Amino acid sequence: MDFEPIIQALLNVIASPYNMGMLLLAVPIGMFFGAIPGLGGKLGIVMMIPFVFGMDPIAGAIFLIAMHAVVHTGGSVPSILFGVPGTGADAATVVDGLPMTRKGEAGRAMGASLGASGIGGVIGGLFLIAILPVLRPVILAFSPAEFFMLAIFGITFIAMLSGNSLVKGLLVGFFGLMLSFVSLDPNTGAERYTFGLLFLWDGMDIITVILAMFAIPEMIALGVEGGSMSLAGKQKGTAGYKGVFTGLFDVFRHWGLTIRTSIMGAFIGMIPGLGGDAATWICYGHAIQSSKNPEKFGKGAVEGVIAPETANNSKEGGSLLPTLFFAVPGSSGMAILLGAFVMLGIQPGPAMALTGMDIVWTLIWALMIANVVAVIFFIAFVPMLGYLSYVRGSLLIPFVLALTFLGAFLGHRSWENLIVLFVLGMFAYFLKKYGWPRPPFVIGIILGPIAEDSYHKAYQLWGYEFLLRPGALIMIALIIGSIGFYIWKSTRPKIEGVEEHVG
Amino acid sequence: MLKKISIFLMFTILVGCTQSSNDGNSNQETATGGSSGNIFAGNNLNYIVTTNAGGGYDAYARLIGRYLVEKLGGDNVVINNVPGGGHIVGTNTLWKSKPDGLTIGTFNAGLIYNQLIGVKTLQFDIGKFSWIGKAAGEARSLVISEDCPVQSMEELIASNETIKLAAAGVGSASYIDTKLIAEAFDLNVEIIPGFEGNEGEMSMMRGEVCGQFGTTSSVQPFVDSGYGHFIITIGGDVEGVPNALEFTTTDKARRIVNLIGALSELGRVSAAPPGTNPEVVERLREAYYNTMNDPDFLAEAEKMNLPIDAAYGDEVTQLVLDALDQPAETIQIIADSISAE
Repeated sequence: MDFEPIIQALLNVIASPYNMGMLLLAVPIGMFFGAIPGLGGKLGIVMMIPFVFGMDPIAGAIFLIAMHAVVHTGGSVPSILFGVPGTGADAATVVDGLPMTRKGEAGRAMGASLGASGIGGVIGGLFLIAILPVLRPVILAFSPAEFFMLAIFGITFIAMLSGNSLVKGLLVGFFGLMLSFVSLDPNTGAERYTFGLLFLWDGMDIITVILAMFAIPEMIALGVEGGSMSLAGKQKGTAGYKGVFTGLFDVFRHWGLTIRTSIMGAFIGMIPGLGGDAATWICYGHAIQSSKNPEKFGKGAVEGVIAPETANNSKEGGSLLPTLFFAVPGSSGMAILLGAFVMLGIQPGPAMALTGMDIVWTLIWALMIANVVAVIFFIAFVPMLGYLSYVRGSLLIPFVLALTFLGAFLGHRSWENLIVLFVLGMFAYFLKKYGWPRPPFVIGIILGPIAEDSYHKAYQLWGYEFLLRPGALIMIALIIGSIGFYIWKSTRPKIEGVEEHVG
Repeated sequence: MLKKISIFLMFTILVGCTQSSNDGNSNQETATGGSSGNIFAGNNLNYIVTTNAGGGYDAYARLIGRYLVEKLGGDNVVINNVPGGGHIVGTNTLWKSKPDGLTIGTFNAGLIYNQLIGVKTLQFDIGKFSWIGKAAGEARSLVISEDCPVQSMEELIASNETIKLAAAGVGSASYIDTKLIAEAFDLNVEIIPGFEGNEGEMSMMRGEVCGQFGTTSSVQPFVDSGYGHFIITIGGDVEGVPNALEFTTTDKARRIVNLIGALSELGRVSAAPPGTNPEVVERLREAYYNTMNDPDFLAEAEKMNLPIDAAYGDEVTQLVLDALDQPAETIQIIADSISAE
């Protein structure tokens, strides 16, 4: 392997004050977009396109990739502190992050998330470098048949996220699946559950749905109950540096999980067709499966923060590869990034491997450096943010609700989404009030369209024989194995599975 | 402490709101100029783009808008991205905009298909927009992967084996194009829908589908890398690739190829809402012409890989009206291609 272009690319980033300046500018902007519920990386890039328009392609691309790389580092803040995820990928962090805040461990949770994000981003980058030589056969090994089985694999995680009642979990999960059918039928083009409304043609807006499921119920509950997000007194809490460093240390204490979920995240991100949002949920499910004490998940297990947060950042690196080499985006954010690259005069596609490797290396370096810079940058802020969990509800609710409605509106700039937000939000509040789990809903609505789309393609390409393809058979074995393992584990004495949590 | 935190939150919201009112969906770029007795002077030009920021339509609008507003003597161009419903939401918005010349827009001319078959959510009549011009065409080609059992148009037409072609979602312009081509040449093909963007190329690399019909420019890198080659082209010349018209044997086939050709030729169009004062439309067309012939503009377009092959005013209007004038038989084929399994 010739290392010269790799080093040259590194110098391209760090030895050029202009490029490095762009990177340093991009990191706080990316974290800001991540931290404001409903904005997220996709909208961040959309908003920054005018800024990079006409800029030097490399500098512009570094700016965008650095910004996009750290969105989820910032995104963990509202998820942990208020239970308000900015995007579908951040939602997995809520499940254990919010209970930690409730217990007064906001600082620790954010420390863990920060460390996990940074390490996830860097390991994700290293994984990409390692896989580059075999990238093409690996990516091409995944056909619609495998996408379908992977989506089904993810859907089986509904069981693990159902809390103490599998029936409730399944019902909520199927409701999520049903809502994912709102769109034009991908196979016939016919309108389906759209009631003649044009804004439903493209399906339910995921950001709006996530905000409705989490932000609205948490804020109503906070208003009804009074007090602050943290139920523990300030003295008992760990909002300062002590908590943050405990959390950072947790990441290293669970190093096996950290490395596994980083690689899993990058790998799932790399497979176009599955979508990055699935990566965090699959990694969260893996954390429960591989834990010796699965019953503590949902009640504030730090592993429940580490797993999705590593995956969140490593998947961005993963999804960069198909975007660059096949011009097929690995996530919805990457789809916008792809458009932005084209606009900058960078033409992703198969030709990239022949003529554009310098750009590829530069972007991978930028991605890793941005993740490290984000951690350093964020450490300064985290203790202060931790105190937000002690803010009185009456001060907090108006801000969060205003941001929530803003976020739901901005994605498609359609006021109809505000009605969806309100109606679904009320529904979600009652789910919360009566102890029904909400994460299965997110799994349903994220994986439903992937399962449907890949099923149609696989069926048309091979008929039902697609289930007998080697890749699909491996996936089926994986699904059966993982369900069997989970049943075996949860029927052992004393352990009763995950209890109802997402408070 | 609480007070400090509230101030911080307040600040965050304020920044958020500023972002939203001046967000990426609407961008301001400064241009100089401004003459008196001119409706554009002291005003911004709104340019509606029917897709999200990023990508072809947006890139063309941002670049053209900047020069256009300068030639018109206006203040700034405000890019207004209105995505959704496969260009329909944005085009509806343009249709309903105030026809004062200060709002124009760009959208996929493939909406002509939707209008021909009377899609209900269309609130506009494409023929009645005040057409300004087009910056470039979007030639279409049929690309075949190197692993495909058929390697030329002759072989494809004669093939007894069913050949699989990838296409975007059912009802999209790309899907209808592919169906029309299959119909025109009576091809023995199965169209597999749902391949968005470049997913079809990936499917060809995996050996699942044999080829796809789409815009030449989007598949060019795939062809350049040696994974496939074009076998026919419509609406533009590609060196060494025969035009689809050469293979037509019936009137029906010729009409279909000509329709796709007209849509290809329209490509990157811009229009003002219906009922815009003809004098104002004339000024817009003139400024558009001057933009397309400005050496600085052309240099920038080349740097950004945006080909320019412009046409103006009446010529574009005629192309649109011709494309809309289709016999019932062709319309039926389009309708069938959407409703059929």
